[in-house]
Amino acid sequence: MEDLKELKKVEQYADQCMKCGFCSFFCPVYQEERVETSVARGKNYLAKLAIKGEQKFTDELGEIIGKCLLCKRCVVNCPAKTQIDRVVVAARAQMVKNKGLGFIKNFAFRKVMANRKAFGNYVRLAKAFQWLLPKTEGKIRHLPDFLKALGQGRNIPEIAKTFLRDMVKPVYKPQDGKAPKMRVGFFMGCATDFVYPELGLKFIDFMTKRGIEVVVPQEQSCCGAAIYFSGDFETGRMLAEKNIEAFKDVDIIVTACGTCSSTLKDYQKYLPDNPDQEKRYKEFEKKIKDSMEFIIDVMKVNPEELKLKKEFEGKTATWHDPCHLVRYQNIQAQPRAILKGLKGLKYVEMPNADLCCGMGGSFSVYHYDLTKKIAAKKMNGIKATGADIVVTACPGCMINLIDNVLQNKMPQKVYHLLELVE
Amino acid sequence: MLKESIINELQRIVGKENVLTSPEALKAYSYDGTTSWIHEPDVVVFPTTTQQISDIMKLANKEKIPVTPRGGGTNVSGGSVPWFGGIVLCTTKMNKILKIDKENLTATVEPGVVLQDLTLALAKEGLFFPPDPQSFLGATIGGIIAENAGGPACVKYGVTKQYILGIEAVLPTGEIVNLGGRTLKNVVGYDLLHIFISSEGTLGVITRAELKLNPIPPAKKTTMVVYADVAKAGEGVFRVLENGVIPDKIELLDNWVINRIEEMMPMGLPKDADAVLLFECDGIPEAVDKETEKITEIVKKYGAVDVRVAKDMDEANRYWLARRAGFAAVFGKAKTVFAEDVTVPRGKIPDLINKCKELAKKYNVEIVVLGHAGDGNLHPAILTDITNQEHYGRAVKAMDEIIEEAVALGGVLSGEHGIGLEKQKFLKRQLDPVVIDMMKKIKALFDPNNIMNPGKIWE
Repeated sequence: MEDLKELKKVEQYADQCMKCGFCSFFCPVYQEERVETSVARGKNYLAKLAIKGEQKFTDELGEIIGKCLLCKRCVVNCPAKTQIDRVVVAARAQMVKNKGLGFIKNFAFRKVMANRKAFGNYVRLAKAFQWLLPKTEGKIRHLPDFLKALGQGRNIPEIAKTFLRDMVKPVYKPQDGKAPKMRVGFFMGCATDFVYPELGLKFIDFMTKRGIEVVVPQEQSCCGAAIYFSGDFETGRMLAEKNIEAFKDVDIIVTACGTCSSTLKDYQKYLPDNPDQEKRYKEFEKKIKDSMEFIIDVMKVNPEELKLKKEFEGKTATWHDPCHLVRYQNIQAQPRAILKGLKGLKYVEMPNADLCCGMGGSFSVYHYDLTKKIAAKKMNGIKATGADIVVTACPGCMINLIDNVLQNKMPQKVYHLLELVE
Repeated sequence: MLKESIINELQRIVGKENVLTSPEALKAYSYDGTTSWIHEPDVVVFPTTTQQISDIMKLANKEKIPVTPRGGGTNVSGGSVPWFGGIVLCTTKMNKILKIDKENLTATVEPGVVLQDLTLALAKEGLFFPPDPQSFLGATIGGIIAENAGGPACVKYGVTKQYILGIEAVLPTGEIVNLGGRTLKNVVGYDLLHIFISSEGTLGVITRAELKLNPIPPAKKTTMVVYADVAKAGEGVFRVLENGVIPDKIELLDNWVINRIEEMMPMGLPKDADAVLLFECDGIPEAVDKETEKITEIVKKYGAVDVRVAKDMDEANRYWLARRAGFAAVFGKAKTVFAEDVTVPRGKIPDLINKCKELAKKYNVEIVVLGHAGDGNLHPAILTDITNQEHYGRAVKAMDEIIEEAVALGGVLSGEHGIGLEKQKFLKRQLDPVVIDMMKKIKALFDPNNIMNPGKIWE
């Protein structure tokens, strides 16, 4: 009898499905492939069979449950409220437990990404090979993805000359020299650290300008998204502990990466293996704020009082909803409030703003063709707006959007929302 | 298991990438929208042209391999479950809208077009296809025609068969036929088109359809009517109609369903009501306002305790969202649910509802009522658990009696779901032996080797 521990934990969610098939309409993967194994109903059915011992952990099953963006469009639209994300993630974890990660993933997750310093060195090493690649303005997110994606025609973004971790101080006091209104921990995230360090500096500047003290613990690690969503719960839990420990002295942790904020919040949802862990993860969740919700809901910034950077004056902007903001955290009003409030910027809503960009972390590495097809729909939405700039708040989406904007020879530039304001 | 040579031949016809044989894929094509009918095929094929379907059928007919046509697999009769294995012929990759003809108010579509995709495309032209099965997010046109699907809007607009002008189909023997045409009127010979519609995939594969469309009505208005007695709500349905108002939808939710929906997503339904009716009127704005006023007047006269006219689209959408959540509310509360779709002449709705209440007591099972009350199509749902033999036995008896009663009241045992596997044991209650025999002869004429969706409709 195979181990079923992780899957058993989600049996109640898998049982919710009443097989209506409505998920097919919302699934970006099904919309391209139109095959039952692509859609939540099919994946859930196979997971249920696996729980009953009627489906073995075959390579084919691994392929099927791997082919999910975890965009959660099916979840939020499910009439039976089936939490298919939990089922897919648990099935992947069970797969990893019973069959092991493939070599590349094994090496990348356990040896490189789990070790912040090694990851940094590895990224540098990769940087040496950049001259092999077409020169673009984009940036890359995770190294394993980056290496695997080579030769697939992707516009490989540049790795930062100096990483954020090597630039930052442990503490930043408010710029006005007064006592801080609030003290927050800044969670950098891999993309910001290694690819978008200027975004991290921007974040610190934005906060300290507004009377907030920013603490940047050096011991912080990768959030674990690409790791635990791929089923490596063991490394995921290790990272969770590292991050909990690194931020134990702050009450609020803010990040400018939508995927990181959702991943940190959701340790309690996907990872707990015992009640003690669950309690610790839940406590940790309470501390996490995405930058978008922090600015609007906690700092209570009035968007109309924010100052648009000069270079964006007169421009038209459109917003792309990252899955990890709109569906994982229901953060959609906040960024729109900021964009609509910024004087001098024209805001246009794109059709299907909440459609996944097709990145899905390592999904885009293993299924790059599908990623491109899904992104093409996103590009059509962007084209329809006639916007000059595409704004979002997830560096993962930014990488994929930049890649596809360039591939489609579109004029739009892609920005993180924080980059727009003074 | 099929011979390897047959798999090779299928791969030659549709391309290797359009043939699935892995054990996992076969499991994923072993079910439909029902809970208890499961059987795996030996192979799943995804043709992309009519000619490919013809070639598949010729092969299957020669080798006597069962073929089960399937679209989105959202049906709730067991109809697309490959009961004898063989080939599942899946049309989901034939999903092009070939033409939208505004002049003639028609559309030409492939069978795998999903209804909601069609609805969105038509809306851009100011048009709509009235049949509205509530599985519209996944249901495909081929399946909708094969099941002669209906939905809430049938009160005013009728069911699928009233909106199909013609089809192209492949017969089980592989011939390609065109039935019907592109005109509203057509009396050339026997009406074979309408034998194909609602044939549940037993006569052939629909490969193209000519649909009749309507312009989108410019205005809509929703009214929620509250009742202290569910049978009174049943009466409200036909009182409104006999007094001259034909809303496009009249839907019913009983107390149990209202409360489950409110638990799932609070949206302001009256939790102490025994039942509510949701009316929607559509048409030109002035008419819609007048009709809504008239409904208010009539339902008050016949026992409604409260009338709420939705003041804007938001409120209206909330009520309809609640209605759509109804089934999920029911299915989420029981391991096994018999979702009946008996249909009675509208005047008999109160009788049927009273019978359901009586049976719930008699067999000590939960029977909840929701459905398209406007056309007499109720969905009494019996909540049970197939693993609890004793309870399940009582539920089966209750279901038997509901069907018995519906037929006795002059109704039918299925209004829109079809017979498939789910209801075949009741067929003889409804149809005379001679009628069943005629149907079987028609089937044999189309399908001499009985390879087309075998095992369905008849026991």
